[in-house]
Amino acid sequence: MIVLDRVTKTYPGTAGPFTALADVSLSISSAEFVVVVGQSGSGKSTLLSLLAGIDRPSSGAVQVGGTRVDALSERAMSEWRGMAVGIVFQFFQLLPTLTSAENVMLPMDFARTWPSRERRDRAMSLLARLGVADQADKLPSTLSGGQQQRVAVARALANAPSVLLADEPTGNLDSKTAQSMLELLGSLAQEGQTVVMVTHERDAQRLASRTIQLADGRVVSETHA
Amino acid sequence: MLSPRWRKVLRDVWLHKARTVLVVAAIAVGIVGAGAVLDTWSLVRRVTTAEFDASLPASATLLTDSIDQALLVRVRAMPALADAQARRTVTASVRTRNGSQAAMLFATDDFARNRVGVLKPEQGEWPPRDGSIVIESSSVEYSAVQLGDSLSTQFGDRDAAALRVSGITRDVGLAPGWMEHIVYAFVTQATLRQLGAPASLNELQILVKNRSMNREAVRRVAADVKSLVESTGRAVSDVAVPEPGRHVHAAQIGSLLFTQGAFGVLALLLSGILVVNLISAMLAGQLREIGIMKAIGARPAQIAAMYLAVALVLGLVASAIAIPIAAVIGRWYAQFTADLLNFDISGFAIPSSVILLQLGVGALLPVVAATIPVVKGSRIGVNDALRDLGISFTAGTSGAWLSKTGSIARPFLLSLRNAFRRRQRMALTLVTLSTGGAVYLGAVNLRAAIVASVDMLFAVQPFDMSVRLAEPHAPDSVEAVVRGVAGVARAEAWAGARAILRRNDGSVGDAFPIAAPPAATTLLVPRIVDGRWMLPSDTNALVVNRRLLSEEPTMMVGSRVTLLIAGMASEWTVVGAVETGPSLAAYAARETIAPMVGSGRVSAVVVSGSVNGAAADFELLQRLRSSLADAGFPIQSGQLMTQQRSVIEDHLLMVAGFLGSMSLLMIVVGGLGLASTMSLAVLERTREIGVMRAIGARHRSIVAIVQIEGLVIALLSWLVALPLSLPMSVILGRAFGRVMLEVPVILVPETSGVLVWLAVVVGVSVVACAWPAFRAMRVPVARALAYE
Repeated sequence: MIVLDRVTKTYPGTAGPFTALADVSLSISSAEFVVVVGQSGSGKSTLLSLLAGIDRPSSGAVQVGGTRVDALSERAMSEWRGMAVGIVFQFFQLLPTLTSAENVMLPMDFARTWPSRERRDRAMSLLARLGVADQADKLPSTLSGGQQQRVAVARALANAPSVLLADEPTGNLDSKTAQSMLELLGSLAQEGQTVVMVTHERDAQRLASRTIQLADGRVVSETHA
Repeated sequence: MLSPRWRKVLRDVWLHKARTVLVVAAIAVGIVGAGAVLDTWSLVRRVTTAEFDASLPASATLLTDSIDQALLVRVRAMPALADAQARRTVTASVRTRNGSQAAMLFATDDFARNRVGVLKPEQGEWPPRDGSIVIESSSVEYSAVQLGDSLSTQFGDRDAAALRVSGITRDVGLAPGWMEHIVYAFVTQATLRQLGAPASLNELQILVKNRSMNREAVRRVAADVKSLVESTGRAVSDVAVPEPGRHVHAAQIGSLLFTQGAFGVLALLLSGILVVNLISAMLAGQLREIGIMKAIGARPAQIAAMYLAVALVLGLVASAIAIPIAAVIGRWYAQFTADLLNFDISGFAIPSSVILLQLGVGALLPVVAATIPVVKGSRIGVNDALRDLGISFTAGTSGAWLSKTGSIARPFLLSLRNAFRRRQRMALTLVTLSTGGAVYLGAVNLRAAIVASVDMLFAVQPFDMSVRLAEPHAPDSVEAVVRGVAGVARAEAWAGARAILRRNDGSVGDAFPIAAPPAATTLLVPRIVDGRWMLPSDTNALVVNRRLLSEEPTMMVGSRVTLLIAGMASEWTVVGAVETGPSLAAYAARETIAPMVGSGRVSAVVVSGSVNGAAADFELLQRLRSSLADAGFPIQSGQLMTQQRSVIEDHLLMVAGFLGSMSLLMIVVGGLGLASTMSLAVLERTREIGVMRAIGARHRSIVAIVQIEGLVIALLSWLVALPLSLPMSVILGRAFGRVMLEVPVILVPETSGVLVWLAVVVGVSVVACAWPAFRAMRVPVARALAYE
């Protein structure tokens, strides 16, 4: 499903170039729930950005679902992103002027994956699956953090992506809600969804099929459940 | 049903109402400026073309001796002519509620058969009956007469007669009476006789058959008519051939509208800059959301389409607001302009193509203006967009030197630094404000140049009044009587004639007046631009003014020319060229001209009084009237130079006023620019403002920071406008020279103008920053700190 081959990512900086990822190679199979852990600056978010096609490696290759992501043009990468991956952010990143249902419909709108008359039904079905159907017509500002993150997950699943990428999805939630969110992602993986999650949560490792630890941009350990 | 992305677009527009209003206002101001000028131009063009053509204006007018029916029949039978008619023009005076006013009375051979220069009756009776008078429409307001009034009308020193105002009619071929300070009116020949004025017809107006003829062709036809008239033993003293199909003031108005159109387009461009500013800022505020949308699969083209659609919708909304306003202003201004040309725009509509053009420009201007920032914004990387923290500040040059100025208070220092944080936006705001300043200062300079030119024109003729005698008399006798009147310091009897240039190819030019003071005159000292002034020893020496020289370039200094004066050809040497204003004029010695036109007699006297002041001048003129009448030299009319000056100044300063009014439009655009810049600055710095308030900044400190930042930009624009006004003064001066009168280009603005502009920009800044400052003051600290 996902293959990283000798991937290095370097950022220019005022004090010289900074290497966020150094020669990382790994592969993730379909329906795996992979948790990436590490301290701040270890390269976790960079790894996720490369998998999501929102950044490109300085060297090496990133392949997701058979697509060589780093070789895509900007336009093709946007299209691919809309179809192939779903992203969940730490700060939810719901569009504030759209209701929950509209936020979920938006990726379908951009990718034109579902006929327009079916989009609302699909959005409602996803929101129901995540337990927030009753919040469908509310604006994000009226929802709790946990509800917003569930809507964000529903949005990430809108186009039935092959991979769900989550960047510290529990970082802005209280412990109880965070636990609930981890369980939700775990259940999605159990239903066959490939999930790659960057997190600081120790509990997440308990639910994951594999834990990858990064330090200074390198994979220092991999633990299978 | 709208898809979510379009719902987002609409809700964003609604959410940021203040910014939306600013964008709409910016576009609307540009459309109002350019649209109003376009509407005016189209209406005036439509009206003047249709109405002027419909009036069948005379192709040429010949002045001759008494015209009778037999001559008219012969002239009308000429194959090249469609028609001809005869009339008599008499100068008189009328006593109205506004006092004694100069009047010009027209009488024709048959008003009912008015087929050349067709008049358009508007109210009351037409044609005039014997003993009644019909006022020309453009003189009604100036003379303050109404239908049914009894108008005291006097020819020369004859007894005044009370004529009933029986009608109002319009003559689109006349320059407006209010502008010329003349009451134009129509009477019968019998009424002229009643007034004691000559009633025989002496003006022959001809209309050529082929109305597409050019001026030279019409001149040839007029020359044929002249030959025919002369073959009957009559002398032709004047042949005037106007530019076919063009109103007497059409060139001036055309140039004026063109110049204003240029400013309208400039206002449109400046509002385009404003839109670029606002759309850029809107995108800056939306960067994070753009990042999110891209992260969930939006393509750059989809993002760009969303924001360009916003620009399109705002353009349409602005157009919907601006086009009717532009139509109202344009219609009002068109009527004003039509008044200058003596037309009435009632019943004429703005062409639909012009409205559609405005709609197209209004809709597309913001789309075009937004294209670059939108394309740039839509291509931003997802990571960059998600990491966007708003405005940043790197310690650059401005920060470094400001930090070293230790004596500046921190809040003031902060305002100074803030002003330079968004340099591109500040530069665009400066462009709009300083362009407005440059136009304003340029107009101030132009006004000063016009006043200086008029001063110069009147300085060269240092007399206070001129008197026209009813009959010509010997100059020495007239001068003796006038010099004996109490209060007269200097007096000269002047002769005058109208001359026509006979060119080498046999064609003739337009008639022009020759003023003929004594060769040793002290009451006419024009500025010599080439050659010299005439000398008592000269024979047939002619001095031309620059305007005549530009019309007839062969009359250069040193050339020998043939002039037709009172029907007789004579040879002249052009000895000098002078600057005496916007009208055609030439000068020759009285001693040469008087024998040619009046057997050595003259009919004009110019007088300089020993006491200055309008009241003293008026009293002196009254004394002159009575003394000359007592001596057997009744006068036909008298004119104070102050009146003449006001006529000229009215014409010239009106144009300068129009040009200056365009700066108001620029000021509005500039003010909107500053308001938008400061609104965006406050929006971008909400977090900073929250921090400042959290650490104890008071409301007044926050307001002061915003207001001072605006003032810094406004003062910079004032400084930039000063040098920018130099080229603007040159441009306006040259444009004015082409339209009206060559004026000296004044480059250094008057101190008062500079100070007024300073006050204006400070005022604009305070007003423009009031709302942003209020908003900054009202932002709750908690929300400000949470702002992303």
